[in-house]
Amino acid sequence: MGRIHLSRVFIVARKELIDFVRDWRTVLAMVLVPLMIFPAIFIALPLFLQGEAAELSEYELHIEVQGDLSENLSSYLEMENLNVMQVNLSQHESLSEPGDDVYRLNSDSTPEVIHAILRLERVDSNASESWNYAILSDSTDQLSWEARTRTLNAVLTWEADVINATLADNNLTREEVFDPIHWDGDQGKADVASGGEVAAMGLAMFIPILVAMWTATAAIQPSIDLTAGERERGTMEALLCTPTARSELLFGKWLAVATVACVSVIGQMVGLLFAINFLTPGALDAPTISTSGIILLMLSVILFAVFVVAIELAVAVRAHSVREAGSILGPMVLVFIGPTLFAQFVNLEGIEAWWFVLPVFNITLAMREALMGIFDPMHIFLWISTSLTYAIGAIWWASKQFNREDLVESLS
Amino acid sequence: MSELLLNVCDVTKTFSEVTALQNVDVAFHSGEVVGLVGGNGAGKTTLLRLLCGLYRPTTGKVQGTIGGDAVDIHTMRENVGVVPEATGLYARLTAWENIRYHSRLNGVDDEMAWTRTERFAKLLNFEQDLHRSTRGFSRGMRQKTALLRALSHGPKILLLDEPTGGLDVTSARMVRKLVRKLGDEGGTVIYSTHNLAEAEQVCDRIVIIHNGTIRANGTPKSLLENSNTNNLEEAYVALTEDEARIQPPDEEGKIAGAWRRLLTRRSS
Repeated sequence: MGRIHLSRVFIVARKELIDFVRDWRTVLAMVLVPLMIFPAIFIALPLFLQGEAAELSEYELHIEVQGDLSENLSSYLEMENLNVMQVNLSQHESLSEPGDDVYRLNSDSTPEVIHAILRLERVDSNASESWNYAILSDSTDQLSWEARTRTLNAVLTWEADVINATLADNNLTREEVFDPIHWDGDQGKADVASGGEVAAMGLAMFIPILVAMWTATAAIQPSIDLTAGERERGTMEALLCTPTARSELLFGKWLAVATVACVSVIGQMVGLLFAINFLTPGALDAPTISTSGIILLMLSVILFAVFVVAIELAVAVRAHSVREAGSILGPMVLVFIGPTLFAQFVNLEGIEAWWFVLPVFNITLAMREALMGIFDPMHIFLWISTSLTYAIGAIWWASKQFNREDLVESLS
Repeated sequence: MSELLLNVCDVTKTFSEVTALQNVDVAFHSGEVVGLVGGNGAGKTTLLRLLCGLYRPTTGKVQGTIGGDAVDIHTMRENVGVVPEATGLYARLTAWENIRYHSRLNGVDDEMAWTRTERFAKLLNFEQDLHRSTRGFSRGMRQKTALLRALSHGPKILLLDEPTGGLDVTSARMVRKLVRKLGDEGGTVIYSTHNLAEAEQVCDRIVIIHNGTIRANGTPKSLLENSNTNNLEEAYVALTEDEARIQPPDEEGKIAGAWRRLLTRRSS
């Protein structure tokens, strides 16, 4: 590869980063989207759904009760903001069989608006009282489904009353019947793991996937832009005419892409932690990770980033156009994400050493072990040495692609 | 005798089955403005790319000379300024930022690069546009920026690929004047063009390339004498009588080719 002048590597990286930052769309895609994605999913979406549900609960809905209606149930239905119209129960094979009522629920032309029909039939039993019931509704109609939900809530509350009454008749309480063997005290206190350790284990579920997913996806756009994009715009030829060695260009571009990818990953992690903290205020402790764990975690992330970014740069260099590069690199993300997802389910207890040799798997497992405070020298040696080999191999391949003579061809 | 700067010795350059240049011998000395004249696909750009080390010769040698010692062409890079045909400017940077980026890569400090840029920008009437983003620049403005970028590190040799192509009359005239001025100040410029009149006006020496071979190499006067003609156009036609070769289609892989043929409807 020849001698590398670090100053030139930094000049290239700096220029590329300035170029990124000046494009608001890139900043939006690489920094703001990853930062906001988890808060949007975990905070904004539930809030929105709550708002929608509240809006729906404001509606006054009409149901028809077929059969006898007890006083208790009647009051519960009223509490659910349901207007009740009571009629006699006609004969059906079973209460769930709609019969002619199907037309009444689905029809827009009938003058009476019925959102749901509750059928009730008293049956004999040893309990204080016993009923069969069915709620007829249209699952494709939002108001009908809402009426069903409210009716069901009222019925279940009424059922609880009936159970309590039956138990009371027999001098029993609910706890005695349904929870005869119960945990004494706070379950959380019985876990000897500290809150920090639990938090670190939780992170071990997310961090490897986040790192794999976002490193792979965040590197795509800049990789394409800095290689196939430069060729297409004709800027590569001018750049290659400078005394800058191709390896210096490669490392400069790699540094820029890796920086963007890291910012994206960090942004997403911050967003995730913020969302978790917002949803469970005060419930989570700061994760306990030892210094050596942090060092190993950082090392694994760096080696993974070197590997992924170098491969994506090399693939993008080989492509004849931006479009071709995009269509290859898009699906290629699965090559990195698939093994990461798979490795999340591998048991760390008694794990075979060869797992730490497989590319991508090794880094995922290394991250999990580092976060969970497991330090097995054999595992560490294996994943560091193999990851280093893969990273060097990827860089060698990328630099080989960068030395192709046709790299100079402007495709514009 | 002026100093030898670049020497192309019996160079052949092939791309797969296509021979772009064949047994080319040509030397470039300090203080001369040389025009590479030829039609489309003649091999001018390939020769320029060999001269700046972007291409490696298939056979033969391209060498530079520093202080009388022959050096590898890559070692010459710091002494060469290049304006490719595509200009290659970054749209999100200003003209000066584009220039500064290249001068930094050439190891020149910003102050020195600015001093040189300012001087040449005045000659091109471009000082007002140096701090403007190159997005939306006209072809002429892009060409001027690329020229200033190539000159910012004080190269000994300037390689220009069709520098006046697509320029309006005023801009083309400015570029020609600048090239002539550089030549008069002792600089070396190698200039590829289609335009014979322009080459005659600007260049001390003209190299006519046709179908990958050099057909003539000398001063405009010597070209007329050697071809027994009255003007350069006639001389050019006489030297390039054989038909220009047909450009081969772009190379494509076997699978890509088969797939394209499968999906290409044959016209009746």
